[in-house]
Amino acid sequence: MIISRRRATGLGAVAVALLAFGGTALAQESGSGLQAIKDRGMLVAGVKFDTPPFGFLDESNEPVGFDLDLVTKVAEKIGVPVEFTKVTSPTRIPLLVSGNVDLVAASMTHTIERDKAIDFSITYYTGGQALMVKSGSDIGSTGDLAGKTVAVQQGTTLEKNLAEAAPDAELLAFKDYNSAWLALVQGRADALTGSLNILQGFAKDNSDYVIVGEMFSTEPFGMGVKQGDSELRDLVNETLQELWRSGEYQTIYAKWFGEEPRAPIELWP
Amino acid sequence: MDYTFDWSPIWNNRDLIAEGLLITIALSLVALVFALVVGVLVGTVSASKSRIGRLVAGVFVECMRNVPLLIHMYFWYMALAFLRLPAFSCAVLGLTLYSSAYVAEVVRAGIGGVSRGQTQAAQATGLSPLKVRFLIVYPQALRNIAPSLASLSSQLIKDSSLASVIAVGELTYQAGAIEGQTFRTFEVYITIALLYLALVLCVSRGILALPGMRHAPRVAADA
Amino acid sequence: MPDVILKNLPFLMSGLGNTLLLAFIGIVGGTATGLILAILRHLRVPVLGRVALLYTEIVRGIPLLVMLFICYFALPALFGYRSGAFQASALGFVLFIAAYLAEEFRSGLRSIRTGLEQAGLATGLRPAQVFRLIILPQALRRSVPPVFSQYVRLLKFTSVASVIGVSELTGSALLVNAREFEPVIILTMTALTYLVICSILSFIGRVLYAQLQIRT
Repeated sequence: MIISRRRATGLGAVAVALLAFGGTALAQESGSGLQAIKDRGMLVAGVKFDTPPFGFLDESNEPVGFDLDLVTKVAEKIGVPVEFTKVTSPTRIPLLVSGNVDLVAASMTHTIERDKAIDFSITYYTGGQALMVKSGSDIGSTGDLAGKTVAVQQGTTLEKNLAEAAPDAELLAFKDYNSAWLALVQGRADALTGSLNILQGFAKDNSDYVIVGEMFSTEPFGMGVKQGDSELRDLVNETLQELWRSGEYQTIYAKWFGEEPRAPIELWP
Repeated sequence: MDYTFDWSPIWNNRDLIAEGLLITIALSLVALVFALVVGVLVGTVSASKSRIGRLVAGVFVECMRNVPLLIHMYFWYMALAFLRLPAFSCAVLGLTLYSSAYVAEVVRAGIGGVSRGQTQAAQATGLSPLKVRFLIVYPQALRNIAPSLASLSSQLIKDSSLASVIAVGELTYQAGAIEGQTFRTFEVYITIALLYLALVLCVSRGILALPGMRHAPRVAADA
Repeated sequence: MPDVILKNLPFLMSGLGNTLLLAFIGIVGGTATGLILAILRHLRVPVLGRVALLYTEIVRGIPLLVMLFICYFALPALFGYRSGAFQASALGFVLFIAAYLAEEFRSGLRSIRTGLEQAGLATGLRPAQVFRLIILPQALRRSVPPVFSQYVRLLKFTSVASVIGVSELTGSALLVNAREFEPVIILTMTALTYLVICSILSFIGRVLYAQLQIRT
C-alpha cells in the first residue's frame, strides 16, 4: 500500500478517539444506591411481564401486578417515578449484579445461595410450589412423576425443588413461564410446576387444567437489591411494613389474589 | 472495575458444558447435512431452465431466509406441537429450512459459475445429462463454493445457539442453567464464547484444508 | 386481519418501531465502525490493523446471543456502567455487525486493481487523495450487494434482542402470545412482517447498486 505512514497513523488516532468517545459515553454512572436513584430521578425496577398476578401485561399491554404495585409504593417513598424493566428468571439476578436495575421484584424466592450474590428485603409474600396437570391426568402428586416430563423455568428454585421432590422426573426448563405453560398445553410436558398463585392465575382462565397434590415447598418472596446496598434495602423494608400498618398492603393483596393475606408480613417494632 | 473473577463454577460444571457442547455439535451436524441436501436441490432447480422451477425455488429462498431464525424456532416448535416432536427435531427443522435458503443461493451461484462451454463439451462427448451434472458441473461448482460453504457452516454452528429458547440442551442453554445457579455471568459467557470460537475455527479451517479446496476462488454469495 | 392482531396492533406496531430503530442504529453504527476496521486493516496501520483483525476474527466466531448477553450482563458488571436492554442490544448489534461489514468492505477494497491506483498517482494526486477519491468510492460501490445482505441479516437478527427482554417486534409478539395464546396466528403474522421489511431492504440495496453503476 502506498499511503503515507503519517496519514495511516492519523487514521489510527481517529479510531482511538472514536473508541475513547464511545467508552466515556457508556461510563456515565457508576455509583449505585439511594443517592444515585435520587440523582437520576428514576427508580429502575426489574419485574416480570409474563407472570400473573405478580407481573404481567394487561389487556392494553401495560405492565401491572402485585409486584409492580409494591414497587410503585417504594418509588413513592423515595420520591421518584419508577421505570419497569422486563426480566425473566434467568436474567433477574445478572441484571442486579451488573447494576442495570436498582431493584428486582419478580416473584423471586429468597434463598441462601442467592443471598451470596445479591441482598434481599424481608419476605413480602410466601408462596408454595405446586403441580398443574391436564384434568384427567394420572398424575396426582409429585410421587407420580417418575418418567414424566415436567415443564419448569430455568434458573429458579422450582427447578431444584422439583428435582428433589421427584428425582426420576424429566425436567424441561424454559426461560419464561409462558413457554413452560405452552409446553404443558401442547402436550410436550405432562405437568407444569410453579408457584401456587401463579398456577392459579393460569388455571383461572383454563378449566381444562387442575392443580394437584400438596404444596411441596415454601417460597418466601423477597425483593432483591445489589449486594451491599443496605440503604435501599432498609427503605424497601420500611415501606413494606408501613404498607402493612396502614392497611394498604392488604388492599393491594386482595386486589390481585382475591383474598386477605393469611398471615402478616414480618413487622419490626 | 469492581468485579472479582471466580472460575471454579465453570470447572465444577464441566459435565454440563461438555454435554451442551456435544448437543451443539450434533444439532449443527444434522442440520448442516439436511441443509446441504435441501440447498443443493433448491439451488439446482433455481439454476435450471424451467421458469416455474426458478420461480418456486426463488419464493422458497426468499420466504425462508427473510424470516428470522428465532421466529423459525418458535414457529416450528409451537405450530407443530400436535406432532409432539422433541424440541431437538424442531430446532433441526428450523435451522435446516433457514440455512438451506443460503446454501441454495450459494449453489445457484456456483453452478452459474461453471461455463456453459464445459457443459456443452461434456454433452458432445455423449454423456447423459445426469452424468454431466454429477461428473462435470457439481465437482467444479463445489470447488468454487467451498469457502462460502465453510462460512455457512460456521454460521450455522453459531445460529444453533438460538435453539436454547425452545429448551434444547445445547451449549447456550447449559450456560443459562449454570449461570442461573452460580450467577457467574461473565465467566460463563466468556467460556462458551471461547468454545464457540474454537468450534467455528475448527470447522472453517477444516473444510478449507480438504484437498483441492484451498485457494479456491470465492464466489460472491451473500452468506 | 385476525382479531388478536387488530386488538394488539398499537403494541405490535411499537414493537415494529423498536425493531426498525434497532436495525437503523446497527446499520449506521456498524457501517461506520466496520469501515474504520476495514481501512485499518487494508492500510496495514501498525498495531491497530492487527487489533482490527483480531476483533473481526473473534466477533465472527461467537453467536449473536452470546454477544448480547455479554453486552447486557458482563460489560456493565466489568466496567461499572448501567445499561437498559435496548441500549445493550443496540451496542451488541453495532459491535457484532461491524465485524461482518468490515470483512465485506475489505474484500471490496482488495478487489480494486493496482493499475487504478497507479493511474491515479500518475495524474499527480497524492496517495491519500488517490485512496479517498478513487479507491474508496469504487470499493464502496462494489460492496453494496454484500453489505446490504448483511443489513438484511442484521434486521432479522434484531429479533434476538427479545431474549434479553427488549420489546421489539418478536418480543412484543411473544408477550401478546403470553396472554392471548394464539401462537400460530401471531407467529405467522410476525414472520410475514419480517418477510416484507426484509424484502424492502433488499430491494433498496438492489436499486442503490443499479443507481451507482458507472454509466458509459
